[in-house]
Amino acid sequence: MQLFARSNRRQFGATAIAASIAALGMMSVSPAVLAAADTSAVIEIGSLYEPQNLDNTAGAGQGINEAFNGNVYEALFALTDGGDVSDALAKDYSVSDDGLTYTITLQDGVTFHSGDPLTAADVKASIERVTAESSKSSRKNNLATITNIETPDDSTVVITLSERSISLPYNLSYVWIVNDAATSITDSEDGTGPYKLDQWRRGSSLSLTLADNYWGEAPTNAGVVFNYFTDATALNNALLTNAVDIITSVQSPDALAQFTDNPDFTVTNGQSTTKELMAFNDRVAPFDKVEVRKAVARAIDDKKLLESIWGDYGTLIGSFVPPTDPWYVDLTAVDAYDPDSAKAMLAEAGYPDGFTFSLDTPDYDPHPIVAEFIKSELAKVGVTVNINIITANEWYTKIYQAHDFDATLQEHVNHRDIVFYGNPDFYWGYNNPKVVELIKQSESSATIDEQNQKLTEANKLIAEDAASDWLYLYPQIVVSASNVSGYPVNGLNSQFYAYDIEKSAE
Amino acid sequence: MTTIELDRPARRSAASLTFIVGLILVGLHVAIALLTLVWTPYDPSSTAGGRLEAPSLLHWAGTDRLGRDLFTQIMIGSRIALQVGIGAVGIGAAIGVTIGVLAAFATRLLDDALAAAFDILIAFPTLLLAMLVVAASDTASLWSAILALGIALSAIVGRLTRILAKRVLQMDFITAARTSGTSWPRIVVIHILPNIWPTLMVNFALQFGLAAIAEASLSYLGLGAPPPNASWGRLLQEAQGTVYTAPFGAIAPGLALLVLVIGINLFADGLRDVGDPTRRRSR
Amino acid sequence: MVLFALLRILPGDPANALLGVGADADQIAAARQQVGSDLPLWQQFVGFFTSLARFDLGTSFVSQAPVSEEILARLSVTVPLTLLAFALAIIVAVPLGIIAAVKSHKWYGGLISVFSQLGIAIPVFWVGILLVTAFAINLRLFPSGGFPRQGWGNPADALRDLTLPVLTVAIVMASSLVRYVRSATQDVLGSDYLRTARALGSSFIEALLRHGVRNGSVPIISILGIELASTFLGAVVVERVFTLPGLGSMLLLGISQRDYPNVQGVLFVSTLLVLFIGFFADLAQRLIDPRLRDRSRGAAS
Repeated sequence: MQLFARSNRRQFGATAIAASIAALGMMSVSPAVLAAADTSAVIEIGSLYEPQNLDNTAGAGQGINEAFNGNVYEALFALTDGGDVSDALAKDYSVSDDGLTYTITLQDGVTFHSGDPLTAADVKASIERVTAESSKSSRKNNLATITNIETPDDSTVVITLSERSISLPYNLSYVWIVNDAATSITDSEDGTGPYKLDQWRRGSSLSLTLADNYWGEAPTNAGVVFNYFTDATALNNALLTNAVDIITSVQSPDALAQFTDNPDFTVTNGQSTTKELMAFNDRVAPFDKVEVRKAVARAIDDKKLLESIWGDYGTLIGSFVPPTDPWYVDLTAVDAYDPDSAKAMLAEAGYPDGFTFSLDTPDYDPHPIVAEFIKSELAKVGVTVNINIITANEWYTKIYQAHDFDATLQEHVNHRDIVFYGNPDFYWGYNNPKVVELIKQSESSATIDEQNQKLTEANKLIAEDAASDWLYLYPQIVVSASNVSGYPVNGLNSQFYAYDIEKSAE
Repeated sequence: MTTIELDRPARRSAASLTFIVGLILVGLHVAIALLTLVWTPYDPSSTAGGRLEAPSLLHWAGTDRLGRDLFTQIMIGSRIALQVGIGAVGIGAAIGVTIGVLAAFATRLLDDALAAAFDILIAFPTLLLAMLVVAASDTASLWSAILALGIALSAIVGRLTRILAKRVLQMDFITAARTSGTSWPRIVVIHILPNIWPTLMVNFALQFGLAAIAEASLSYLGLGAPPPNASWGRLLQEAQGTVYTAPFGAIAPGLALLVLVIGINLFADGLRDVGDPTRRRSR
Repeated sequence: MVLFALLRILPGDPANALLGVGADADQIAAARQQVGSDLPLWQQFVGFFTSLARFDLGTSFVSQAPVSEEILARLSVTVPLTLLAFALAIIVAVPLGIIAAVKSHKWYGGLISVFSQLGIAIPVFWVGILLVTAFAINLRLFPSGGFPRQGWGNPADALRDLTLPVLTVAIVMASSLVRYVRSATQDVLGSDYLRTARALGSSFIEALLRHGVRNGSVPIISILGIELASTFLGAVVVERVFTLPGLGSMLLLGISQRDYPNVQGVLFVSTLLVLFIGFFADLAQRLIDPRLRDRSRGAAS
């Protein structure tokens, strides 16, 4: 149950991500599609992330973004699979010179699925849904700089900020525009997207059909169904038996062999932002000492771990920043695997005989096996690890809220989440005033370059401090039947645009 | 001490054969479990092997994702299974016998209430009860699994004890003891326990097997002993995830469990036929 | 009441399931208010009972959906699974059990006894994994898990998905039933009425069918009731192996998310069903065996 760390990952820098992806050797999505696309085909999508409910401000989990972002609901801006931010319901926008006023013009002729036309009042209400007190959106704070929203006419929205916020368009890309007449959207919807909700069978599937009178380009298929699985093995088998056409993310390399050798399937290795990490509680001894954290990082052979979990897939990282972030620099050499120096550093830090700590481990794969690996690695430098298995729910209470832990394992999927290291109250309690300041300044940067430069510097600092131990970056593997193409391949966020998916008649 | 003969004579020759086979199978596991205390083929936490290696002369049952020797893990699994079995049956027996005997002596109202409670609890499978107890305990550990199974088993023991004890209580010699003024704790110790003991022992053995299976199921569901305890259920759960590339992982731990439970069941059957003539009455 | 107490001592707050990383104190308080976990315990307790008395199982903390609706949807998986497996197990176990008793000296009689020994020693999930390996991965005859999204809208697909789960449960259930059928048959074989019937000129088979089945089935039916109930409740494991959206998986998910209304609802409904099964098993026994009818009448008067 990854809904905690995985929920609501949005936001991304407008950069040349597409180029970097190409450079990293992404496989092409589809071979030449010879047969004509069948526009009456319904695409069956297999996923592990069933939403808890249908409202992304009510703790629905990442699954709702996967199913609804861009498909059922649209935002003012959209984050493309390549990582760019493009206009969506916003036809155009302008920013005042001081960066504090955004004037946004809306697209014409947009209607909600209920038939109501889109107006500026809907946009205002939608933004306020996210910033409202009752909102559980994890990105609520990113919109905290909004002081006022005005609607001079039905197609214009004026947003005023208290200070510069260079990421506002990206932040707005996760604000669904919902009809302000809709009261509750936890089990129904009223959006503007190319699909409307057909039926949600809890524990099983969520089906979308074509919306009437969609304002934009019509989808290349007749609808999509998200089929939910709780078990990766069952999901893979569903694809093998043609029960689904495509899997949004493969969670284990062991199942891949059956697809890679089979011409009936296409395997795509895209870019992910999901990082596996051991987060120290930087507030408490012994992890309040930088040397201890560095020593632990050096004692763990990340390469062997990555191979154990992912075989030939995945990427090693030296900090919290994946290669697709604009402020990425290769920091894998910082605190690389070196058990001898780890021992020396422990002795220097006052722990010549090592120490014992408890590692709070979420109960789902891969955390337990990662914990066992860490335990055996650290035993070699004299550090004893007690593995404490907890549910995702307990993780949230004990670690996220109460900060009551020594160290924990967690996967973090959010984009641009290096900002978490700028918050000393975050669960891991990392507090370097320089980093805090850099991250704060980066948001009020006047230019993208300035923002990149500040965050790159912060990135290097957290790596030098071994703020956490970043173990590896997950791969993002999408597998489809070979007659299906046009789907998004990157795990840059949890969304899964379905409207360009084509299924050719066999 | 008075023993009651309730049933037909046992078929001794066949019984002793099952008893011996059962004893050998269980003994094998006990020996392996004891051996792991001093020696295993590999250090259980050593990750020196390759990822998911197939069984070979070096690794008899192959290796897991981290390159650890599976045969070593399975051997340690024996120890965990026995620990859980003994612990759970011990707890179940302590609670169950106490309450069962109390019920047999209690007033009509309390007895009926306890009997009804046993019946309701028995309607729930051991596993389900144990699941709820585990979920209610703060942190998962080997002990919480043992405790949960023990509590779940106690209802079965309690119900059986109550029935057996009541049957004994109707005997003439009890009436005699009562009229002669023997205190009831004394009646329990000299008359009741010795009489119901043989049947209970058979039942305990059967429950040992139940507990071993239930523990594996709990671990399989992720509610059992946490890593690095190499419970067979956890090994199987782990193996199910890699069943494409390494199907061998799903065989050996299951076989180990099968051998143990069959051994125990044969042992119990033999015990019933040899020592306790109340064949087919207790189940 | 036991349910309530047991559930409230679970560590963790159900409100957490609604939140994501990045939530602040206000959001946490709001979530607690929404699920009612900020109320004093006794208030939660009173609320729980008043709604239970009205058969209102409440709404899920996490999905905000009515619990009863979700349970109904999931019963449409668990009930067919249980009943199909049950039927298959009886069809297999009754003849096998009788053969094992009648022909216990033949090799196949012995084989059946061995099978029944194996069956009760195998954990049900291992049978499931082995079947998946053989039929889903190697032979690719059946899917290894899941259930069609239309549910029973497409019966052929639903049945195909249930094949392996049903087989798994049936194998385990049949093997333990064989033991009971065999011992019941042995009792019948040694009985006076069978000897009398044969002496009166009935053939062996005829005697067995006319008298044996009726008499032998009485103890078997009470065992069947218990088996059916425990299979129904034990569906948790099988549903996990085959990832079926049934009652068991709802329970597991509910426990891990601390979604009390869901957990309570599942336990409440399954307890009711188990009581019903027990009641019908009792009824069936009385219909078959007139002696039991008389006895109960005697007890009542």
